[in-house]
Amino acid sequence: MKNKSQKYLENVISKRFFLLSILKGVVVGAIGWRFFDLQMIENRKYEKLSDENQFNFYMIAPERGRILDRKMRLLAGNMDGFSLVLKWNKNINVDNVIKKILKIVNISKKDLNNFYDEIKSDKKVFAKEILITKKLSQKDVSKLAVRSIEFPEVNFLMTKKRVYPQGILVGHITGYVGPYSKKDTKIKLKSNTAWFEIGKTGLEKYFDNDLRGTFGRKRDEVTSKGHIVASQVYENTISGNDIQTSLDMELQAFAVERFEKGSNTLVSIHDDNVKKQIEKLKNISYVNQDYVYKDKKNRIVNPQSGSLIVMDIENGEVICCVSSPGYDPNIFSNDLEIDVWNNLKNNSRAPLLNRSMSGVYPPGSTIKMAVALAALENGIIDYNTKFYCDGAKKLGESTFHCWAKDGHGKLNLIEAIEQSCDVYFYELGLKVGIDKIALMMKRLGLGQYYNIEINDKSKGVVPNIEWKLKRDGLQWSMGETLNASIGQGYLLTTPLQLTTMIARIANGKFSVTPTLLMNQNKNKFEALKINPQHIGFIKKSMERVVKGNNGTARNYQIGSKKIEMAGKTGTVQVVRISEAEREKGLIKNEDRPWKKRDHALFVGYAPASKPKYAITVVVEHGGSGSSVAAPIARDVFKYIFKV
Amino acid sequence: MNYKLNKFSEETFGSLFFSKLSKLNFFIITSLILLGLVGVASLYSAAGGNWDPWANNHLIRLIFGIFLMLILAFLPHKIFLKLSVISFIIGILSLILVKFIGTGNVQRWITIGGINFQPSEAMKLALILILARYFDHISRIELDKLKTYFLPIFLIFLPGFLVISQPDLGTGLTIIVLGLAILFFVGISMKFIILCFILLASSIPLIWNQLYDYQKDRILVFLNPEIDSLGSGYQIIQSKIAIGSGGFFGKGYLLGSQSRLNYLPEKHTDFIFTLISEELGFLGSISIILIFCILITSIIKISFRVKSLFSKIVTFGIGFLLFLYLSLNIGMVCGLLPVVGAPLPLISYGGTSLLTVLIASGIVLSIDIHDKEIV
Repeated sequence: MKNKSQKYLENVISKRFFLLSILKGVVVGAIGWRFFDLQMIENRKYEKLSDENQFNFYMIAPERGRILDRKMRLLAGNMDGFSLVLKWNKNINVDNVIKKILKIVNISKKDLNNFYDEIKSDKKVFAKEILITKKLSQKDVSKLAVRSIEFPEVNFLMTKKRVYPQGILVGHITGYVGPYSKKDTKIKLKSNTAWFEIGKTGLEKYFDNDLRGTFGRKRDEVTSKGHIVASQVYENTISGNDIQTSLDMELQAFAVERFEKGSNTLVSIHDDNVKKQIEKLKNISYVNQDYVYKDKKNRIVNPQSGSLIVMDIENGEVICCVSSPGYDPNIFSNDLEIDVWNNLKNNSRAPLLNRSMSGVYPPGSTIKMAVALAALENGIIDYNTKFYCDGAKKLGESTFHCWAKDGHGKLNLIEAIEQSCDVYFYELGLKVGIDKIALMMKRLGLGQYYNIEINDKSKGVVPNIEWKLKRDGLQWSMGETLNASIGQGYLLTTPLQLTTMIARIANGKFSVTPTLLMNQNKNKFEALKINPQHIGFIKKSMERVVKGNNGTARNYQIGSKKIEMAGKTGTVQVVRISEAEREKGLIKNEDRPWKKRDHALFVGYAPASKPKYAITVVVEHGGSGSSVAAPIARDVFKYIFKV
Repeated sequence: MNYKLNKFSEETFGSLFFSKLSKLNFFIITSLILLGLVGVASLYSAAGGNWDPWANNHLIRLIFGIFLMLILAFLPHKIFLKLSVISFIIGILSLILVKFIGTGNVQRWITIGGINFQPSEAMKLALILILARYFDHISRIELDKLKTYFLPIFLIFLPGFLVISQPDLGTGLTIIVLGLAILFFVGISMKFIILCFILLASSIPLIWNQLYDYQKDRILVFLNPEIDSLGSGYQIIQSKIAIGSGGFFGKGYLLGSQSRLNYLPEKHTDFIFTLISEELGFLGSISIILIFCILITSIIKISFRVKSLFSKIVTFGIGFLLFLYLSLNIGMVCGLLPVVGAPLPLISYGGTSLLTVLIASGIVLSIDIHDKEIV
């Protein structure tokens, strides 16, 4: 009995023993498989996670390349600045640290907001360096350094700050840099690179990749508590390339001053009379803080706004490019204050607009060379074809006036250009037709973008029959051809396009295109394909504009035996003048409100005998092209040729 | 009878010692020493390449423990039968005592003369002994009867609940599972087991309510560690990263970045195996698991061979206890089980579990030597 039960028990125990062994085998097998899975199959994933634990990766900003003028003068460079950086980890009481710092130095709200955003940005990181501000002055640094023992988590860093030593003179060309934001670039930067700067406008934007250089990389080994154990730069930075522009800062500086003055005079604001006047007015811009401009009627006025471009007709290098009013790009490198920004943004004269490339204006009479060339090239007229001008041209029910109320009488092409007779060009326009005029304008460079090194530019408008049909679904009317023939109506050009047009005429052989870089366009222009004889004839008539007895710019000759300029004036009506107004007698330009005054234009080149530079002057609401724009052009040429 | 007596008197103490020494189970001792040394090496690494504060202590305890083990091995195993009741009673008393004078933020330790002692660890061994004694004592026919199991169940659940209420869910459950495994081993009827399961399943909500918040957290986080990647889930996520990043050969001894930079929690106690996996890789982890398997198999093999039920149950229980330690700890660090707080025997830093395992091994060795002699 006992034996039997014992046997039975042993049997049971053996069975149970077996079952439990299987259980153990399964459990150990499961554990083994788990380790195989973690360590062999998913190894890569966990290696990456472990690296992310172990290291914090940072990018180090390289030194940004400089922007130089043609004589290596600095347009944009870097200055040493001091940044304040918090070695943040999740155990730090941030508010406390910031409070302590704020007791010693001021930090702008914008910086603080960015700082707090940065802390919140990536919750999986336990420790990182976060920028508090990069706008510390030397004074702030020493103040903080004395008490740095109170906040050991805070570090000073030497950083580079972008500076523009030329200030307001070339702001539109250099552009400015601003903090990187994700939408700005396709380059993926880690969140802790938020204080890196990228070009926002102008050359800074266009050449951002060249200027920026190559980022270095650094990694910090961090403990779980966020203490940095070791720090290693494992990829060095490569500084950005310098960019040499074709601008001549000496000329640019002169041109800005000369352009802003226009035909006004400078008066001191300390004069009592002037003081009283200033008090009445709002938004008057001072010149050098002590002076204002006064026009011929003794009114205090703002500096002229508009554009001035000087370009080499051989290689297309832009040596001077003024857009007025300008802005100082340094304000973006410093802490951009909201009222300064609002002032810029809401200023009725739009200082942020680069008028030379983005501003569009009706070209007015400056287009007449293109119309004449279209007529000549198509064999519609010859050099002696004459039309009669009695001051107006009737077309159907409407009348198209010439600027000379009493007319010019009978005159040929060269005289028509010299005196800028509108009726002559109405006749030409009717004969040639808009499509052929448009073709010639395009051949001369209007209505197109160039590869100039600025991102923001306008195309302008060169209308033709198809263009109007496409835009409005309407037939082209003859009246519109008349308007286009004198550079009004739909026709719109940028100052840069006008300069290009003049450069091509002055060059006569190649389709010059503009560039802002040195030595960019060497022998790679297409042929212009216009009869050189016709070009020569047009150039002669442009010389007559300045030198002829009836030339519209005859009062503004350079006056040197060796060097004279040639050109064409233009006065662009901004407001339509009704017949009734015309009957009453026109209000003089300078008596109208500023916004309703005519634009003054001058395009030209010099020296007339052996052209070298083309120029365009557009003075917004400046009055007549001959009295306002031409003298500016003359003075600039005088400065260039030192006569 | 005479023959026996004569033979006994002929043997000198010396020859007896050497005959016993020769019978010592080589596998068990070697694997114990190996694992202990792995522990010392790992603790040296856990301290960043320092003997202080853990490795030296561990080594001293290891040497002392192995001495103690050998002494126990040479004692006749009947002594453990006789000591079983008193050790169980002492165990229960100290578990009650720890409620009142316990140290540590959760009351698990009793401090005696500067040495922290964790009664719940020793309780596991005491439970094995008392159960073995009980089943050895009762008539074998009674094993078929259900009422035979009432006392053992009481003996299991009394310390079990005392430990859970400390609160130490992991150790408490280990005690209960260990006890139930022994009941299963001696042949409790399947019906009863199923009944137990139903009871257990129905009491889960009750137990859940009894749990402390941090215990609930651990279980919830186990089910989905990402719900709290910086809080309770942090341990298990970091542990998995450490293991996974080790790869096949590991990052190299002393070179585990996760442990060196303190991303590993409890890297010297419950999570020490993570450190080993990170530094020694799949190869190292599997080797150590293998050594454990050799140890456990060697112990359980003894239970297969010995004749008395007491010896059978004790060796089986101790083997199973080691298995539980191993699977709970490693299952926990690799995310297969919730974080319950179970040390890895012989490797984790902690005197009580080390000594418990070595004493248990001493008992096993003693049974291995002596149970063969007396049939």
